[in-house]
Amino acid sequence: MPELLRADGITAGYGDSIILEDIALNLAAGESLALLGRNGVGKTTLLLTLMGLARLRQGRIVFNGEEITQLPTHRRAHAGLGWVPQERFMFPSLTVEEHLSVVARPGGPWNLGRIYKMFPRLEERRRNLGNQLSGGEQQMLAIARALMTNPRLLLLDEPMEGLAPIIVQELMKVIGQIVRAGEFAVIVVEQHARLALELTQQTIVLDRGRVVHRCTSEELLRDRSTLDRLVSVA
Amino acid sequence: MLGNFIGVLFDGVAYGSLLFIISIGLSVTMGLMNFVNLAHGAFAMVGGYACVVVMTRLGVPFLASLPIAFVAAAAAGIVLERSLYRRLYRATHLDQVLFSIGLVFMSIAATTYFFGPQQQPVQLPEFLRGQVHVLGLDLGTYRLFLIAVVIIITVALTWLIERTRFGAEIRASVDNQQASAGLGINVYRVFSLTFALGSGLAGLGGGLGIDVLGLDPTFPLKYMVYFLLVVAVGGAGTIKGPLFAALILGIFDVAGKYYVPQVGAFVIYVAMVVLLIVFPHGLAGRRT
Ligand SMILES: Nc1ncnc2c1ncn2[C@@H]1O[C@H](COP(=O)(O)OP(=O)(O)O)[C@@H](O)[C@H]1O
Ligand SMILES: [Mg+2]
Repeated sequence: MPELLRADGITAGYGDSIILEDIALNLAAGESLALLGRNGVGKTTLLLTLMGLARLRQGRIVFNGEEITQLPTHRRAHAGLGWVPQERFMFPSLTVEEHLSVVARPGGPWNLGRIYKMFPRLEERRRNLGNQLSGGEQQMLAIARALMTNPRLLLLDEPMEGLAPIIVQELMKVIGQIVRAGEFAVIVVEQHARLALELTQQTIVLDRGRVVHRCTSEELLRDRSTLDRLVSVA
Repeated sequence: MLGNFIGVLFDGVAYGSLLFIISIGLSVTMGLMNFVNLAHGAFAMVGGYACVVVMTRLGVPFLASLPIAFVAAAAAGIVLERSLYRRLYRATHLDQVLFSIGLVFMSIAATTYFFGPQQQPVQLPEFLRGQVHVLGLDLGTYRLFLIAVVIIITVALTWLIERTRFGAEIRASVDNQQASAGLGINVYRVFSLTFALGSGLAGLGGGLGIDVLGLDPTFPLKYMVYFLLVVAVGGAGTIKGPLFAALILGIFDVAGKYYVPQVGAFVIYVAMVVLLIVFPHGLAGRRT
């Protein structure tokens, strides 16, 4: 598989504070990676750094053969980074359908028809505004919206956070489908470590802004004690 | 008596319509970019002088000079946004106020230098002068024309914002810049184009307004408070809010000056205070 993402020596943070130190990250096209670690260790910051929304101090990021280290955020999205933010960031003045059409980048497999087939709930709610959705629907929309950009790499930041167990199950089915289809690469940040490990091939674990463990997801799934030591399992 | 009242109402609506065209851009830039642009009236002045110049020096007819006013002010808007305004998006409101009031004084000085301090004349075409008789009332033709223009602009603008992808990009960027950029919306471009559109509409309003508001180099200062009132009362970042606010303020201003001339100019401030007490977020403000 050709290399899709290579991040080297990433040191980043916000303003004057440094959150991440010397992080390296590699991903092949279609590969899936779980990004684990306790609360506040810098998982979200790493995704924001890839998106150009945190302050990169050192290091470089090459994506799909292009150096994107200095690229403005919207150009990174055009290059194929599909961001599903932890906060979901719905647009209160856009309808569900507008959320999808306003970011649509044709030229890939994803379009309204396919999205609605995958998330029938969103089609039912297509005329509702972004702030009139339940938590589960918001998360579906956040994922669907990123898919409409036809990404090469999907960045999922805690997609199950705050959702009722039954919704988690429903959503996991869909996420499992799209991740395993391998149409694009995925980085999943998840507090429910087991869910993320079952979904993915590779895993890295962060602690206080550094990578403390790298392995295959299968390995970590079997090694219960290491998993417990590295991340408090929810 | 009743005829008078309707006449005042009509004049107020026409006057408010003008305020709306000029202020709507300010409402959008304040809502979208959170930028306090006191120099917004200077773009209206650019439009006004563009009209006068092409009419008196090039013999362009009045109606044809209006789109030129729009383009001239929009072009000025793009150039200033790219070169100066952009640098101050992240500055404090105090910096923005100081910067834009500086621009106001520069625009006054530059206009005085090139055109002199006097009022500029406007020659309205025959068919827009005089009065028309409607249901026993004499209504100013030009004021009817103003109201018609505002209706068209409101419909077009609503269509643009509510129905087009560019409009959705504006709304998304107003809602959440970070998320918009992160999903591929070029927020800078949205800002530039929106700023140009708002400046262009101000320029159009400046041209349309010569006959009603007058035009001299102090224009941006003289009407600054009115434009800010429209945005403050209407709420930033919407179309409906500033439209109602402009109409209400227009009517109160005209009625105040007509019925209680001793306190005339003061009436709109009372109206503003009352409206802001009743609608602290503006008539249709975005709740943040
Ligand atoms: N916008 C910000 N400005 C300053 N510090 C931040 C900001 N966002 C997060 N942090 C800090 O960065 C650290 C890592 O946060 P985050 O990346 O959100 O962790 P995680 O996603 O792993 O829970 C935390 O200490 C947090 O307080
Ligand atoms: Mg996080």
